[in-house]
Amino acid sequence: MAKPRIAFFDFAGCEGDQLQIANLEERLLDILGHVEVVSFREVATGHSDDYDVAFIEGSITRPEDEIRLKEIRKNAKVLVALGACAAIGGINCLKNFLAENVYREEVYGNSARWFSTYAARPLKSVVTVDAEIPGCPIDPAEFARITKELLLGRTPWIPDFPVCVECKQAGNVCRYEMGRMCLGIITRAGCKAACVSQGAHCWGCRGLVPGANLDAARIVMDRPGTSRKAIQDLLRFFLGDTGAAL
Amino acid sequence: MTTYTVYKEQLPGLFEKWSQQHALHVPAKLREGFYDLVPWKKGLEIAWDFDVAYNSPKRFLLPPRETLITFNLKTCEAAPVFEAPPQILFGVHPYDVKAINQLDQLLESGAPDQNYVRRRAATVIMAFEPLTVSPAAFWATVGAATAAHGYDLYWTKIGPAAFTVEVGSVRGEELLAMGGPLLLSTAGDKEGARRAKARILFKARRSGLRYNWEETPRLLAKCWDSPLWRRYSQMCLACGSCNLVCPTCYCFDIREEADDLLEEGIRYREWDGCMLESFAKVAGNHNFRPKAQDRYRHRYFRKGKYIYDKIGELGCVGCGRCVRACTAGIANPLKVFNELWEETVHEH
Repeated sequence: MAKPRIAFFDFAGCEGDQLQIANLEERLLDILGHVEVVSFREVATGHSDDYDVAFIEGSITRPEDEIRLKEIRKNAKVLVALGACAAIGGINCLKNFLAENVYREEVYGNSARWFSTYAARPLKSVVTVDAEIPGCPIDPAEFARITKELLLGRTPWIPDFPVCVECKQAGNVCRYEMGRMCLGIITRAGCKAACVSQGAHCWGCRGLVPGANLDAARIVMDRPGTSRKAIQDLLRFFLGDTGAAL
Repeated sequence: MTTYTVYKEQLPGLFEKWSQQHALHVPAKLREGFYDLVPWKKGLEIAWDFDVAYNSPKRFLLPPRETLITFNLKTCEAAPVFEAPPQILFGVHPYDVKAINQLDQLLESGAPDQNYVRRRAATVIMAFEPLTVSPAAFWATVGAATAAHGYDLYWTKIGPAAFTVEVGSVRGEELLAMGGPLLLSTAGDKEGARRAKARILFKARRSGLRYNWEETPRLLAKCWDSPLWRRYSQMCLACGSCNLVCPTCYCFDIREEADDLLEEGIRYREWDGCMLESFAKVAGNHNFRPKAQDRYRHRYFRKGKYIYDKIGELGCVGCGRCVRACTAGIANPLKVFNELWEETVHEH
């Protein structure tokens, strides 16, 4: 059987997710031994439009991005969203809370009228996405696992429960018990509660967990000592494209 | 039962000896108001007055993630994996001992859980009579104030620097003897221990069930359609925290992962919880407890009735961990059972 051909693409984003893949180092050689990489700008030169699996990083921020993305969708048998920007819109969606003339001026200054741009959105707003590897940045181990699952013909699985589960597994003291705010209660797990385990709180980079109870979360977060502005800022940070952000 | 008196100054020597062949865990303060069992090291200050260990001891017997088998994708051969490092849990409160006894019964019955059984056999439990009661705890009223068995040694602090140590197993007595000649407790020391137990029991009884805990299964049988389930579960975040911190919840999910060469693989299990939305999801995407209300009610029936129907005791030992862990403030067996009791009081 011919090796599956895979390609990496990027839209608006920092290419940090592809960097995470490059960070797999020796492991990358083993995993990529099962495939043929036809396009991976971050790591190698060359490009081909003949591929089976497309890994796409970044969010869609211009009308012409849609044309390119639809073209990739047409070529690829499997389309995988890589990272927060591609999967959930991510921090690019922060601009969606500003008036268009404000962010255009902020970014492009006097030359604003030379550039097209519109509200940032995730890939799934434009095309069908077959699998997601969320996170900002992605967890290389999860990329490796999902790639292997695709290679073995299994349905790729990502956790469908909140970060709280991994936090309890790690034995962390709950941020709420420390009087702090945390988005772990509505955020999809899979990061092994990385930020909380390091002493910070969850920012929601992996997107909303399926069935997130946002009404309850707002009540839980709205505590003495926490400003509503702070809650709003936190909910907009990564979750701007979801119903969580107000 | 043999009881020895041990003095505080003997402990560093004992810990030093025990830790040479065991992973030794002792209670320590994490931060103000938070305590946990942590690996012992020289000079570590023991938090004798800890109210509750933040993480339940089940993680030592049923780790959050555990490899069960390794397999080969080419030859389709598989081999079991058993890890059972010798360990000592020093400072387990009686309600947690009771929880472990319950796990023992449930995981040894039917097809015994070999991984659990082996870890359990390699684990020495040194129970410790609590000196303070967590504000969320209600163990004294759910039949979990004492543990009749399940410990190797039972420590009771009878003075600033003295303990009585009741022997629960030969293994425990041998460990204690590693510190040199043993001193049998005097009648006065034993009386001191009795008083210490009575004192903490008095404190612990300040909050609790308003009825005899043995009524709980009968109570729940009447409350399947109570409006309470809906009222509380509206706030449920389905985060599973109540399950995961519970010392008696033992559900797990099983997954597999191949190595990077796609030649070998492992099958492992990870903690799961019935409050998670996908817990009861089966093939074809059917979910037989799709609503938070169904899941919420299930947990209380599990704690108050289903476990009772199996082994004759509540599946809740009243440690209060879920009460603290629930950010939405709805996980609270004490409140739920008491409110159901009030609701049905005209029927009693």
